[in-house]
Amino acid sequence: MSDMDDFLPGAPLTINWAVTNKCNFKCSHCYSRNDPSDELDINVLFKCIEGVAKAGVLSINFGGGEPLLRKDLMEIAKFSSQNSMRVSMNSNGFLIDSGKAAELKDSGFSKVGISIDSHMPDKHDNFRGIKGSYERAVKAISCLSEAGIETSISTVICKINHNDVDALIEFAIKNKVKNLNFHNFKCSGLGYSNKDKLDLTAEEWRDFYLHALKAKHKTEDIDISLDDPVIALLGANKNDSMVKGSICGKLSLNIKSNGDITPCGFIPMVIGSIIKDDLKDLWINSPVLERMRKKTPKGKCVTCDHYTECLGGCTARAIALTGDMNNPDPHCWRHES
Amino acid sequence: MKIFRNPDVMWREEDEYKSRAYEGLEKGEDVEKIGTSVLYLNGMMLSLNILGTEIWKRCEGSMLDEIVSELAGIFDVEPIVLKKDAEAFIAELKEKGYVRYG
Repeated sequence: MSDMDDFLPGAPLTINWAVTNKCNFKCSHCYSRNDPSDELDINVLFKCIEGVAKAGVLSINFGGGEPLLRKDLMEIAKFSSQNSMRVSMNSNGFLIDSGKAAELKDSGFSKVGISIDSHMPDKHDNFRGIKGSYERAVKAISCLSEAGIETSISTVICKINHNDVDALIEFAIKNKVKNLNFHNFKCSGLGYSNKDKLDLTAEEWRDFYLHALKAKHKTEDIDISLDDPVIALLGANKNDSMVKGSICGKLSLNIKSNGDITPCGFIPMVIGSIIKDDLKDLWINSPVLERMRKKTPKGKCVTCDHYTECLGGCTARAIALTGDMNNPDPHCWRHES
Repeated sequence: MKIFRNPDVMWREEDEYKSRAYEGLEKGEDVEKIGTSVLYLNGMMLSLNILGTEIWKRCEGSMLDEIVSELAGIFDVEPIVLKKDAEAFIAELKEKGYVRYG
C-alpha cells in the first residue's frame, strides 16, 4: 500500500448528487431547501452521468432535497448503475413503502441511508418538522431491508441528541441497519441561521466524540462512522485512511441540482459545471480544490501536534464560520499552546 | 486457502499512474511508491502500487501460490521474496476488510 503524500486519484471516487432541492420536510438545519437552483432535465442528466462514469467515478450518492420527490429518480438511478457505478441515496424515508423499496431495488440502489435524529418519536418529528416522520422512517428501513437493500441511519448530531449516543446505537441495532453514521453539525443554510440553538460548543463536541468513540470500539453489532476530521485529536482515524482531514475535494465532489460543482454540499464555492466542464480537468486543476488539498495552517493550528492528522478539521465549517478555509475548525476544542 | 475480494469494495486502476509505473519498471526505476489503483470502502481509500494492484486483481478465488506463480512471470523478483511480500500484503488487506479467505 503506497505512500499517499503525493497521490491524488485521477478523478473523484464518489459524487454526492443533489438531484432536486424540493423537500417534503421542514428541518431546521437544512442547507438546501431554500436553494432556488433549477433542476436538470433528465436527458441533460444522462449526458452528465455518462461523463462522470467515463471519468472513472465509482459511485453516486443521490441526495437533495428529498431525492424521491424527483419523479424520474428511478430512471436516473438505473442509468447510473447501467453505467457501472454503484448507486445509493440519502432519504428521509417518508415516501418509502414496500412498493417503492422494490422499485428502488429494481433501479439498482444498493444502499439507502435514512435520516433519523432521535430514538424518541416526538423529538425526531419536531426536529424534522413533520408529524409522523419517525414512524415512516422506521417503516422505510424495514421495507428497504425486506427488498434486499442495505440500510443505514444518518443522524445529525446537535443539541437535541448529543447525550443520546448509547440509545441511538441501541435503536440502530434494533432496526438491523448495517451502518450508523453520526454526522457533525454543519453551519450551512438554515444550519447557519439556527446554529446558536443547535450547534454544540467545542467542549461538548469533545465529550460527544469521547463517548461515541468508546461506544464504537465496544460495539460489534453495527458499523458506526464518525465523519469528522477533528476526531484525530483523540487519536482516531490514524491508521484507518490514507486521506487526512476532510475528504471533500480529495475523494469526493458535490453536484448541485443545476449542475454546479462544489467541493462538498456544505461549501458554497462553485468550481465548475458538470454540463460545461471536463470533470477530470476540474478535479486536477481547480484552484479551489488545490487550496483545500494543500491548506496552510493558521492560528492555533500552526503549533498543533495533531495538524498533520486533522489538517485543520472540517473545511466547510471553517469557511462558514470564519470565511477562511485555513482557519481552525471552530469545533476544535484544543486550546492554543 | 482461496482469497476473495470483499464485494463491497469499489476499485479502479489509475491509468496515468499505471503507465508511468510500467514505463519506470522498464527503465529499472523504483516504482514502489507509485499508486496504480485505488480501493474504496466505507468512505476510505487505499492506494496500491503496481505489485499490490496485480495481486488485488487476482483475488478472485485464487490461492496464494497460484497468485505468486503468475506474478513471478511478470516481476523480476525472487519467488521466495515475492511470496513473502504477497502473503504480508494479503494479510493486511484481510485485516482491513478488503479480502476474505474461503
